[in-house]
Amino acid sequence: VRDPFLQAALAWLRAQHDVRYAEARLVESDGERLRVRDGRPEQVTAEASRGVGVRVLGSKTWGFACSADTSEGAVVAAARRALAIARASGALARAPALFPEQPAARGSYTTPVAVDPFSVPLETKLGALDGPVRALRAGDARLRSAEAWMDWTRQKKHLVTTEGTDVTQDFTYGACGMHVYALGEDGVSQRRSYPTWQGGDGFQAGWERVAALDLPAHVDRVKDEALALLRAPSCPAGTTTLLLESSQMGLQIHESCGHPTELDRALGSEISLAGGSFLQPSKLGKLRYGSPLVTLVADATSEGGNGTFGWDDEGVPAGKRALVDRGTFVDYLSGRETAAALGRASTGTMRAESWNRPPIIRMVNVSLEPGNAGTLEDLVESTEDGLLMATDKSWSIDDLRLNFQFSCEIAWEIKHGKRTRILRDPLYTGITPRFWGSCDAVCDAREWRLWGLDSCGKGDPMQLMYVGHGASPARFREITVGSTS
Amino acid sequence: VSWEAGALLALAKDVLAEAGEAEAELSLRDAERGCARFAGGELGQHMQLSEPLAAVRVARGARVAETVTSRLEREALVAAVRATGHAATLVPEVEGFPGFARADDAAGPSPPRFSEATAQATPEERADRLAPVLEAVRAAGLVSAGMLETARVAHAVATTGGCARSHDATIASFRVWALETPGAGGAAGYAGQVHRELGALRLDERTERAVSVARRSRDPASLDAGTYDVVLEPEAVTELLEWLAGIAFGAPEVEQGTSPVVGRLGERITGEDVELVEDPLCDDPSLAFGCPFDREGTWRRRVSLVERGVARAILYDRTYAARMAARSTGSALLPTLGSAGGVGPTSLMLGAGTASGVDELIAGMDVGLYVCRLHYVNGLLEPKRAVMTGLTRDGCFLVEKGRVTRAVGNLRFTDSLLEGLARADAMTRERRAVPTFWSDAGAFVSPAVRIRGWRFNGKSQERPDM
Repeated sequence: VRDPFLQAALAWLRAQHDVRYAEARLVESDGERLRVRDGRPEQVTAEASRGVGVRVLGSKTWGFACSADTSEGAVVAAARRALAIARASGALARAPALFPEQPAARGSYTTPVAVDPFSVPLETKLGALDGPVRALRAGDARLRSAEAWMDWTRQKKHLVTTEGTDVTQDFTYGACGMHVYALGEDGVSQRRSYPTWQGGDGFQAGWERVAALDLPAHVDRVKDEALALLRAPSCPAGTTTLLLESSQMGLQIHESCGHPTELDRALGSEISLAGGSFLQPSKLGKLRYGSPLVTLVADATSEGGNGTFGWDDEGVPAGKRALVDRGTFVDYLSGRETAAALGRASTGTMRAESWNRPPIIRMVNVSLEPGNAGTLEDLVESTEDGLLMATDKSWSIDDLRLNFQFSCEIAWEIKHGKRTRILRDPLYTGITPRFWGSCDAVCDAREWRLWGLDSCGKGDPMQLMYVGHGASPARFREITVGSTS
Repeated sequence: VSWEAGALLALAKDVLAEAGEAEAELSLRDAERGCARFAGGELGQHMQLSEPLAAVRVARGARVAETVTSRLEREALVAAVRATGHAATLVPEVEGFPGFARADDAAGPSPPRFSEATAQATPEERADRLAPVLEAVRAAGLVSAGMLETARVAHAVATTGGCARSHDATIASFRVWALETPGAGGAAGYAGQVHRELGALRLDERTERAVSVARRSRDPASLDAGTYDVVLEPEAVTELLEWLAGIAFGAPEVEQGTSPVVGRLGERITGEDVELVEDPLCDDPSLAFGCPFDREGTWRRRVSLVERGVARAILYDRTYAARMAARSTGSALLPTLGSAGGVGPTSLMLGAGTASGVDELIAGMDVGLYVCRLHYVNGLLEPKRAVMTGLTRDGCFLVEKGRVTRAVGNLRFTDSLLEGLARADAMTRERRAVPTFWSDAGAFVSPAVRIRGWRFNGKSQERPDM
């Protein structure tokens, strides 16, 4: 998708004496959201959106305006409004915003797709969900409710800037999964999900990923575990060795590494929704964030990742860089303005949810590099006493990203290197650098998997974003655990 | 740039007539928002945001499909209706689908919710109003952050059965933080206000409150986790109510078996002083906002969900109501791009108490905590008991012998809201509306509440030195 009227808006802006930089972004998206619950369609929704956003840096500060009308007149009018806002705000600014120049980028990016999901008939997609849902509820009246879902989004972006950047990007995002609720005689319900809880199962690929997920093959295990949870004892409280499976590692990374390494948070720009960060600039290169086994990277080039792209929304090319290198905090997720405040270069993470939002710093694929602890079963075998927890159920972390508490769908007790019994309602809690500092084993690349979130919330008004997290299972020592019940 | 509701309704009718589907519903919404977001003492993110949205549903018998689009051009909408009609032929039947709203579906009262001054607010006006806010916080030696927003929101619903609704609203909201550091933690104070009239916002008074809380928050003591009596400000209570709304009162959660009111309608589920009402038609301009009808065109109703601690009702859209032998409460939520609409409250209100103010609540505690706000609450730990976790933020104070004695560091709580409210023994007469974070046109309302024995299970670390 390309729009010649974007250049008309830039031409008008270039002619204004006080425009230091401007970008115009056309975003067009189509989507499909399908949910089947208990044998009936809960949601069969097609989506569409199209519009232009214009961000302008005036003599001192920024203005943003947008338009759903993409005619030339409307796009130029949006540019006028954006500049008017920048001028109005400039009256309050004490100093001009720092915004270093960026070499012009040109080119295109497209998600590699083997089978276009929008070419697959709707009946086929609903059938792929309906079968597993019926099977999940079959055979036991305690299997109260089951749901399977599939989301597809195709987003096309055309970005032009006054620096000469002119890039187009064509993304295909998907997500698919299922869960079942079992209801016990005591009235308490237990949920099990596959491949993880809704919203954490996203990817950038085509229909081929749905086939690879193979929902039917996992139905029996999911329902058996849901039923087993009904009669399982609660997770005992105490301090123990904790193993986290890959998808829970993804959430752990998201909340305790991804968000605190956002430089806008650290500098105070996100107080009005999310808060600040304990990872302050004075800690760069010094803070012991984790054990030497912990290397966390921001990689916007990971194949199939929800956080993969060609260029961010300021025209900075995608790259890969360490945020935590062998335990030491070494870099931020940043944009051009925030990085300049530290005398650094942007790490290329500015993205906007759609045409009607300005770009802000967003996670890309923030991932834990694999270790050398073998497979998950190897890790269990090498653990004398502990717990293995899987699949997030609830999540909460403080406004500096230090104190977190996560609960999971299921835990397995580990005794003498073997999984013994299932425990229900498990939770664990910790302080971020202490937790990562206790990491003494990370499974190897065979267990590494890239997970995708489609609803990371940030900004004010809130923007949702596609982000990715890759991880192998890992082990942490002396962790506080307990039960929600 | 923006649509008025009458024009949106005319468009909806025109599109349905042109598309020619026999059974269709078209909900249109257009919001124009002016958002002046400030941080680090600077107005750095000032935005004009357009949020057009159309939600189309077409039924072929009981087969129902939906399209959600931001494209309000007539031709795009006609095409969307027709494409949705085609999709409806391909999907399974929705059990209990009763059809879309009809012309004879009753309308109800429509409290005034529009202010021309708010609708016409300019970027210059927002900046002018914020200038003294930034200056006042700076003069106090603190750092400001927050948002001043002015928005107009138009809604219209039309169905092929003749239901036709339209409504214009405005909302002006102000949130301000006064901070010891821009983003590194330390002392913080918050205050906010929401009203349909921009002129009714007391930016000066609210800023003074944020500064006052921040000043009192300096040098916090470290307090061990444990069970404490608490006084929660309305901003803290409404954060808990948002989660309760999501897990408890919607018919889907009840049908799914995960709601705490499953099988308990008519039973006591919390304290007998607790009154919880979905009151979207409340005519107090400082408490209720938004549209008096839902995305299906059903007029919203006042629904008493909890009376004297007894669960009395849940909320329905048309389909769930038909399936569960009830009447729609006008609680069908408009979907957005990216998320389903669902069923739930937009104006949840916790009943007022008799205390004259927060000071009276505090005076009734020997040892306890005064909590101004909460952060990152999550209510999915054990929904059947409404167990929630979260942290204090922007002001947490130790109370000794009925007086606030000093600030304490932020703490994590994990407790059941319903069980906690059963231990609530006092609430204030005054209530405040706090906008829900997911909506520009909804707010929840609460008094300040005193709860005995609220469970804190961890503490955070302010200004970590590691």
